[in-house]
Amino acid sequence: MSSRDRQPVSGGERLALTLLVGLAALPHLLHLEPVIGLFFGLLWGLALLARRRPSLAPGRLPLLLLTLTGAGMVLAWYPLLFGRAAGSALLTVMAGLKLLEIRRRRDLYVLVYMAFFILVTQFLFFQGIPILLHALAVTLGLTTLLLEASRAAPAPLPWTSLRRAALLLLQAAPLMLVMFLLFPRFSSPLWNLGPQQGAAVSGVSDRLWPGSIGRLALSRAVAFRVEFGGALPSPSRRYWRGRVLWHTDGVEWRPGADGPDPVKPAPAGGTAIAYRVTLEPFPGAWLYSLDLPLAAPDGARLTADLQLLRPGPVKRRTAYRLRSAPEPAPRQLTPGERRRGLQLPDNVTPRMRRLVAGWRRQESDPRRLVARALGHFRDQPFHYTLYPPLLGDNPVDRFLFETRRGFCGHFATAFALLMRLAQIPARIVVGYQGGEVNPLGDYLIVRQSDAHAWVEVWLEGSGWTRVDPTAAVAPQRIERPLNPDLIQASAGAPIDFVRQQPGPLGRWLHRIELGLDAIDTGWRRWVLGYSQQRQGELMRMLGLDFLRGFNLALGMVAAASLLVAALSLALLRHRSGDDALARGYRRYCDRLARIGLPRRPHEGPRDYARRVATARPDLAGRSGAIARLYIALRYGRGAGDRDGLRRFRRLVRAFRPRLRPPRT
Amino acid sequence: MDDSPARLLEQAGRIILGKERTLRLALTCLLARGHLLIEDLPGVGKTTLAHLLARLTGLQYQRIQFTSDLLPADILGVAVYDRNRSGFHFHPGPIFSQLVLADEINRATPKAQSALLEAMEERQVTAEGETRALPEPFFVIATQNPAHQIGTFPLPESQLDRFLMRIRLGYPDPASERRLLAGEDRRLLIEALDPATTPERLLQWQHEVERVHVSDAILDYCQALLARSRDSDRFHHGLSPRAGLGLLRSARAWALLEDRFQLLPEDVQAVLPAVAGHRLQRSGDTGVEEGETLVRELLESVPVD
Repeated sequence: MSSRDRQPVSGGERLALTLLVGLAALPHLLHLEPVIGLFFGLLWGLALLARRRPSLAPGRLPLLLLTLTGAGMVLAWYPLLFGRAAGSALLTVMAGLKLLEIRRRRDLYVLVYMAFFILVTQFLFFQGIPILLHALAVTLGLTTLLLEASRAAPAPLPWTSLRRAALLLLQAAPLMLVMFLLFPRFSSPLWNLGPQQGAAVSGVSDRLWPGSIGRLALSRAVAFRVEFGGALPSPSRRYWRGRVLWHTDGVEWRPGADGPDPVKPAPAGGTAIAYRVTLEPFPGAWLYSLDLPLAAPDGARLTADLQLLRPGPVKRRTAYRLRSAPEPAPRQLTPGERRRGLQLPDNVTPRMRRLVAGWRRQESDPRRLVARALGHFRDQPFHYTLYPPLLGDNPVDRFLFETRRGFCGHFATAFALLMRLAQIPARIVVGYQGGEVNPLGDYLIVRQSDAHAWVEVWLEGSGWTRVDPTAAVAPQRIERPLNPDLIQASAGAPIDFVRQQPGPLGRWLHRIELGLDAIDTGWRRWVLGYSQQRQGELMRMLGLDFLRGFNLALGMVAAASLLVAALSLALLRHRSGDDALARGYRRYCDRLARIGLPRRPHEGPRDYARRVATARPDLAGRSGAIARLYIALRYGRGAGDRDGLRRFRRLVRAFRPRLRPPRT
Repeated sequence: MDDSPARLLEQAGRIILGKERTLRLALTCLLARGHLLIEDLPGVGKTTLAHLLARLTGLQYQRIQFTSDLLPADILGVAVYDRNRSGFHFHPGPIFSQLVLADEINRATPKAQSALLEAMEERQVTAEGETRALPEPFFVIATQNPAHQIGTFPLPESQLDRFLMRIRLGYPDPASERRLLAGEDRRLLIEALDPATTPERLLQWQHEVERVHVSDAILDYCQALLARSRDSDRFHHGLSPRAGLGLLRSARAWALLEDRFQLLPEDVQAVLPAVAGHRLQRSGDTGVEEGETLVRELLESVPVD
């Protein structure tokens, strides 16, 4: 330990350190047990108070008790001390305790490095841009404090150290980039240790009743984002398939018991489109795909009715690549499908049967009949609104003949039921429709407000064909996304899609939102998504494919060892460059520093010896002799005097001052 | 007669009370062949100091009171027509003395100021096409009143650089002041003094300054100080090479005053405030900053190895 480390910490440094450690620990307090957070807050406040009133600083015994309490609390709430949360709780509590015993500069250094470590551990819990900015800001502050603390005197201008710290961090940026690109990646995320905090928990469910989607339609939360390899599909083709619902009890539609699945999913036809979906977490156990998916990505399976099912809910943000084609494959309808596709609830009313019977008398061809039914919705006074009237226990009947106001859920359920009454097998698909193109990132954002339900009917020769009754009533809904903010204002009234355009301020805010979304998506894609596979691609591009996996790790270790060795060598050479005289003198100063008389860096040897003699008259003789000899050897004409040097080293070796002067 | 610089100092200390360090600096400046600027309020003993030095060293002494109507000729001298010899004859001005006291130098116009300062720097006067050397030793003590700056011409930085040192006298401490009040008139005391040395001895001492040994370690230290003053963003501009030479010369003279022939870092530190105080300015600061504070910052930022 050098003499500098023993110097006391100034009040300003103490305050800055306390604030910075508090800031560094702040994100941890958001997710750790509140008790731990409270304990840290208590320690922190005490440290802040003790700065003003030193009498409040706890002595040895209270500090010991506090330490035991802290350890006890961590053990009580994280009993096995296992996992990232326990580790960070322990670290946070330790930092809080250390705040109460900042005496020497060495304590300051220890705490600063602890704070750096705390900053690193935050990335085990959060990986977004805000936490990155927070870490950068606190790192800058800590570096500034380190610089300021290692100055002989405080810098005259407050921003001198700050500017230097910023420069240092900038200089470190290339190193950071190299480490990021070359540090060995693991095939699975290193910190995949539990569910992600703050994950979205809403989304399209696998139950549908007439009013169920309206709730979602008002949410601007992002459901998923899609990047296309080539051109985007036209808005009217952007149907994002989720679940397929077969079974209805007259109010609610459900997927229904999976029938025996004798048919293999048949590949759809038409021009295929390749794309990549980044799905936000949601509680469902399925994936979304553009109508109609050709094959399932890893970890999911494609069913006969072209759903992508996965074993468990989507707990983390998940990305997958898919290909889709628009035209359903022509094949035979299986008996199971026919039975499920024609299933009827108990509450079919006579007027519904009369309506369908009327159509069947006019049209015998199923295709014409579908068109006739769509025409009914178009020609009769049906309105699209997100605030439909209440419907009671036979919602379809009441909607069809009385209220005639509703949104996709109402139209899809009513339409599917009417088709089944007309002996045309029908099923409902829930998912999303549309999406907004982010021009800044060239990808599609699909929001919860794009949630949608439509119908698929079996037509001989075409297979399961998509029919969207909502489009018949409100074609604009399909062409243009809803803006939930504006819809809220027009509660109950039919939506006027033309007047729904936002004003200039709204457009501007929307642009900012799109920009932020593009940045976030880029961050996730290029930084968080930099996987082992991408690293491999980069290495191939650089012609370094042999550096992969284990080899890369080995290379990193070798390069780091070489660098450290070279640096130590350079430093060692520098040290041995100054002569034995300087080493001897340094040893003399260190020994005096140990008894509380450190030499100030700018203090000359004579002044120092005088000060020592004043403070400790018992040392005056020996210390003075050493100083005189040193002065003669270093500043006099006696430089290079080997005898003198030998004498000097002997004197220094024998110079072992005691902590307290001997009693006389 | 036991004459040594140390003894000279001791004698001076009997007249000017409680100003041991200031006197030592003034003598150092004299031994280092520099010129001295004293900046202080009236009545703290500036003139007494000049008088005393002249008396103790036996130097021929002249005082020039600077006023706003002072002309260069009043300092340097003037050529007058001599009817007997039917030609111009040069009457040397007060500058042709071994010790010149330039009182209240900031009261004169820049023209008069620069006449003095040029003579100081070159140690010669050119008038009527003829160059005349100034006597040896040649020592200028200029005084300046820092207060009441209205109607004055403060010396610009380039002129300040010509003074090796700037010192302040300050008020005496209570004990010294008590003795001063109780004692005799200083002027009479000075009149009664015997010279402690001769101008010839003084010249020898000035040469002896060169014999003080400067080790590599000290050269490194001085260079580190100069470099620090230049690369640190605390100072408006760094110390000039002239300042560096002056620093080393002053430090040597300081060591000689202690009868020591090897230079220590402490010597450099002792003279640095006087040598660098008027040459350093705080960067980005328009106010008048105490030069000594800046020097202390400089000192404390350069370690002695």
